[in-house]
This record gives sequence, C-alpha cells and structure tokens, in this order.
Amino acid sequence: MTTETQEPQRRELARPPFYRDVRVIRIVGQALAVLVVIGIVYWLVNNLLSNMDRLGISTSFDFLFGPTNTAIPYHGSFDPRSPVWQMVLIGVKNTFLAAFFGIILATIMGVVVGVSRLSENWLVARLATFYVELFRNIPPLVIIIFFGAAVFTAGPFPIFSESWEFNFPATDNNLLIVNNDRWGIPGFTQTSNLLLFYVVIAIGVIGAIWVWRRRTKNFERTGQPHHRVVWSLGVLLLALIVAYFAAGQPLEISWPVISGNRRRIDGGFIINWGWMSVTIALGLYTASHLGEIIRGSILAVHRGQSEAGNALALSAFQRYRFVILPQATRIALPPTINQYLNLVKNTSLGTAVGFAEITALTKTSVGNGRPAFQSFIIVMGVYLVFSLTISLVLNVVNRRLELETR
Amino acid sequence: MKISKLLVAVFALMLILAACSSDDGDDDTATTEEAGGGGGDGGGSSGDKLAAVIAADVVVCGVNDGLPGFGVVDDAGEYNGFDVDFCRVVAAGVLGDADKVEYKPLTADVRFTALQSGDIDVLIRNTTWTATRDGQEGATFLFTTFYDGQGMMVPASTGFTTLEDLADANICVLSGTTTELNLTSVFGARGIPFTSVVFEDNAQLQPAYEAGQCEGWTSDASQLAAFKSSIEGAGGDEQFIMAEIISKEPLGPVVSDGNTNWAQAVEWSVMATVQAWEFGLDSGNISSYNGDDPNILNFIGTDNFNPGLGLPSDFAVQVVTQVGNYEEIFDAHIPAIGLSLEGSPNNIWTDGGLMYVPPYR
Repeated sequence: MTTETQEPQRRELARPPFYRDVRVIRIVGQALAVLVVIGIVYWLVNNLLSNMDRLGISTSFDFLFGPTNTAIPYHGSFDPRSPVWQMVLIGVKNTFLAAFFGIILATIMGVVVGVSRLSENWLVARLATFYVELFRNIPPLVIIIFFGAAVFTAGPFPIFSESWEFNFPATDNNLLIVNNDRWGIPGFTQTSNLLLFYVVIAIGVIGAIWVWRRRTKNFERTGQPHHRVVWSLGVLLLALIVAYFAAGQPLEISWPVISGNRRRIDGGFIINWGWMSVTIALGLYTASHLGEIIRGSILAVHRGQSEAGNALALSAFQRYRFVILPQATRIALPPTINQYLNLVKNTSLGTAVGFAEITALTKTSVGNGRPAFQSFIIVMGVYLVFSLTISLVLNVVNRRLELETR
Repeated sequence: MKISKLLVAVFALMLILAACSSDDGDDDTATTEEAGGGGGDGGGSSGDKLAAVIAADVVVCGVNDGLPGFGVVDDAGEYNGFDVDFCRVVAAGVLGDADKVEYKPLTADVRFTALQSGDIDVLIRNTTWTATRDGQEGATFLFTTFYDGQGMMVPASTGFTTLEDLADANICVLSGTTTELNLTSVFGARGIPFTSVVFEDNAQLQPAYEAGQCEGWTSDASQLAAFKSSIEGAGGDEQFIMAEIISKEPLGPVVSDGNTNWAQAVEWSVMATVQAWEFGLDSGNISSYNGDDPNILNFIGTDNFNPGLGLPSDFAVQVVTQVGNYEEIFDAHIPAIGLSLEGSPNNIWTDGGLMYVPPYR
C-alpha cells in the first residue's frame, strides 16, 4: 500500500479478515450472549410451565378475577366475595401507608440523630450514638416483632373494651382512643361533592408554584430576601380556605366513638397495632442509618466552608442553613434514596405482626390455592413500581443538585 | 433504564424459581433419570416416585413443629406426635425402617408449595382435604387419619356461648388454612361482622390471644383442645370451647399429583394401622400370630402374598411392630390433649366410628 506524495490521500484502512476483525467479533459476541441468555430463560420458563401443567396448577392470571373468600385482617368492611385484584389493591394501599409514614418518621428522626451526634453537648452526642448503635445492629424483623410484642401485646395499653379515651379539651369528643389493638383518631367525612374543592386546591397549587418562582426570580435580580416558603404556604392556605367555603363545607370532622357493645370504633380514622408497629419500628431503624449518612455528609463538607462562614460572622443556624447543609444534601442524597427503598421493602416483614400489606395478603392467598408463581410476580411488580417511583423522583432532585464536574 | 431493570428482575426471579422447582418433581433423590430440557418429560409416569424414594432410602416428610399432639419438637430435638408417627408408618411400610424419615417443618402457607416443588415426598401436617386443594394445588389426598371439625375458643370470662356473641369481635386465625376460609364464609352467611387477625403460626398467635388482642381463636377442635390445656396448665385464664362445630375437617396424608404408585404405597401403609386394629393385632402380638384366619395371614404376609403395590410382603408387620396400630398411635398422643376415641368419628367402624379400610386381599 503506497501513498502518493503529491496529493495527500486518505490511506485506505486495511480490514483484517472477519474472524480477526474486532468490530465484527464484538457484534457477533454480544449477539451470541444475548441468544444464550434468551435460550436459558426460555428453557427455564418452559420447564416451569410444563411442570405446573403436569401438576394441574393454573398458569394464567385468571385467578385475579375469582372471589377472595378470605377476610382481610383489620378490614372488616371488605366483602369476601370481591375479586382477588381488589384484595391486591388493599395490600398495595397498606404498603404505601406504612412506607409513606415510615419514610417521614425516618427522615425526621434521621436528621435529628445525625446532627445530634455532631453536637458539642456530651450527653446529646452520646445518646445519639447509643441510639444509632442500638438500632443499626438489630435486624429489622426483630425490631418489628419486639415493638409489636413489647409495646402492644404485652405492653401497658389496656384491652379494647377498656380503652383509654382522651377528650378534646372542654368537649365530649374523643381526640384519641388508646388500647393495645386499634387506636382511634379524628378523621374527615365527606358530606358533599369534593370536585369543586379539588379544583380550587389545584388552582391554589399552581398559584403557589407561580409565587415561588416569582419571588425566586425577584431575589436573583435584586437580592431582596424571597421568603418564598412562607409566601407559597400562605397562598396554599388561602386556597384551602376558599375551597372549603366555596364548595359548601364538604368535609366534616368525625370523632372516634367506641360503639355500644364496646367492640368497635365508629367514626374517625382507625389505626391498627400492626401498622403502628411496622411504621414506627421501621422508621426508627431506618433513622439510625439515615443519621449516619447525614453525619457523614456533614463531615464531608470541607472545614474551610464553615471557617469561611465564621469569617463572615454567620450564626450557627445561618452557617448550617446556607453553607453546610446545601452541600451536605448533595452528598447525602444517593445513599438516602437507597435507605428509602430499603424501608419500602422492609414493610414486607409486617406479616409477623398481622399487618395486611401486600406480601402478607399474597401469602394467605397462595396458601389458599392461588398459583404461587403468578401471585409473586404481581408482588414483585408492586415493589418494583414503588421503588422505581421513589428513585425516579429523587434522582431528578439529585441531578439538579449535582456538581457539574463529569 | 427502567425496562432493563425490570427485565433483570424478571430473569432473576425465573432463575430462582427454576432452581427451586425441579424437572421431575423430586429434588433429593438419587434418580439417574436425565433432567432433560423442556421439562415436560420425567416424573410424570407413575412408577418413578416410589422407586426414587426406595433408592434414596429416606422418606422426606413435611410436618408441623408447633402443634401439641400432632407435631411438636421435644426437649431432645426429636419430633413427636400423631402426624409424626404416620410419617414413621410410611417409612416402616415402604423402607422397612421407621427411623428412615427426614422431617421438614412447614408453615401452613408454604406446605403446598413444598409439595408441588418436590421438596417433600409426603405431607402429613394436619391438612384438610378439600376440592380446591385436590384441584388447584395439584395434590392428591389419601386416607383420612383424623376426622376433625373447626371450633371456636373464647376466654371463659367473656361468657360467650354462640358465634353470634362474637359480633364485631377480633378473631385470631392462621393464614393459609381452611379455617380462615370457613370463618369468612360462615360468619358472612350468618351476617355476623367481625375483624380477622391473621398470623403465620401459633407461636405468634397465642400471645396475642392471651393478651386480649383478639377475643376468639378459631382452629381445628383438636388444636383448640391442645392449646386450652396448655394455657390453663401454665396458669392462664380459663378457656371455653364453643359447642358449635363450624365445619368438617378431615385430616390426612397428602402427596402430589401424578405419582400413583407412590400414593398407593403410602395409603396402604397408613391403612394397615387401622386394619391391624380391626384384627385385634398390636405391636405386641402381631409378630407372634399363629392362628389360621386367612385374612390375617395375607395381611401379615405369610406365604409372601404380594398384591403388587411395590411394598415388601411383610410391610404390615414392620409398620405395626415398629410404630403401632391406629389405636396405639392415637392413645400415645391424643388423650393428652383432651380427646378420646369413645364416641368420636375416629373410632373403628365396628364401634360406630368412621375408621373403615378396604380389605387387603
């Protein structure tokens, strides 16, 4: 192969034969790998399905439309003739409730514990350390069972028929009903159509976002303090009040009342001991992990930052609020997402305390004759949806906070 | 990004499930049969399971480990109970040695999955025979060894005597049992509102019941009798079992579908205990029988009578000598929990009970 010296010409690339050509090998290799994987999966699934056929076990999802035939724990109003998919939805709802409140509790406790460990007060710091070391080293199932057993089953609360009732001051209404089985708290009942209510609230949310952005732009332009949280919340509150009266007062407080035969709570919201055990136990457990994450992320902010803050005569609160925590949050966010996902998955341990979340209900359903393979594919799908939603939302936040170095 | 995560999760699930369920329905056997691709072959034909169990020289038996009288683990770590004894009956009949049993304790909601996957050879775990289990669970139910019924227990201090008294009450029940289904349908049919409190096993249920978190405990009447005596014996509150029996609960051994020879071998081993009782033979006198009743001579295998079940001709002698006849097995475990043979459906048919076995001829 020669190149002409007068006219620079692109040298033709000599292509090796195909069996030595890297590009061909790469493509062929990857295609072969994919084929092998597909082949293995096909063989495995075929194996499973033909074994299920041989045993006479259904391989379809039709069981979702058959009647449930079992009652759901602590859902006395569930009609057992409802189709199975409604039971699945109730399981999903319960898992969501436990996960949602568990995450809130874990975040609050986690920040408190994390910052406390860095406190200069000796007692506060030691207490926080003790908390973290205690909860981090015990398996979550043990904590849940312990909570359920120690606080409720064998705990100080009376049995249902002798519940403690705490009245709203100066009235006869119960603010809180306490016993070892189901607690009652005030709730809302709907007295008329809520559509107008929701519409006005939606307008209020849009208004709050608009106010937020306007105050932020104003701040960036002129440096005037934006107070955007207060402004947005104010707008939301106004919208709430307007909505409530515009829709004709569609919501009413309903107070929990113990029924005449002392075996039911009528009215209000009822929270059962299984949910409380799971939520509080998992909240405390995850808080111990989150506390360590937050502590680590605060320590990871360069000491020069807090020294610069001190040089600018910022108070401790201002230093944390404007210099350290914004940088610490960026570092803390990915492991925090991880802990939230763990909390969602750990709610499946609620079977030990009779909490009717999706895993417990599926185990009952499978134990009563529904096909196990399809049922657990559905459960896995539920947890996947929860986890992917949480990580999606929080990754959006993460991406906005990231340093633009890579 | 999301799709590939989903695919990975599905692949992983398939791999795990494939590892748990085997080609030919029994994992722990020394069969030389090829675990071929496609999976549809292998294990479906009826001779294999019996031959596989004989080749492995052990019977893997699914049992309960927390039910007084039927399946418990004692202080020495040994399994004891009515159902456990029938596992030993199967081993004595098929393998000639009642101790060649491997016990696997199972909770109620995984027992059928274990049977379907071939993890266990036979399930003898106070399991009720129902149509759904015969059909959807791919199980074959064998001779009923214990006729039971579902009952309801309440603390005596409540003064409840009928099911209607339990309106709006919390009722404790185990998950994955016929008890759960019956509770829902009976209470629903009578229009009694209630709240169910569901646990996985009795070790979690009993503290909740004793703490008053539920007012009623529903289960098989034999289980309730056992727990009543254990609660009262440990100094707890007096208990009351309601007279009303909510449902029929015939309990017996279970094998998985498609293994007819194995099913028959298990069934005739179990039935041999009742037949011996009917003949008046027990562990003391069966091996020294020297009469000339031709039925008994066939039964104990004189002249190598072999009906072609795949069992050794002296299997009945092995069963009764090493474990006992039905009455001996019953008396070893059930009176201790408060039930007796007299007047119960578990009595021999000649005394008005339901224990009646086909002739061994």
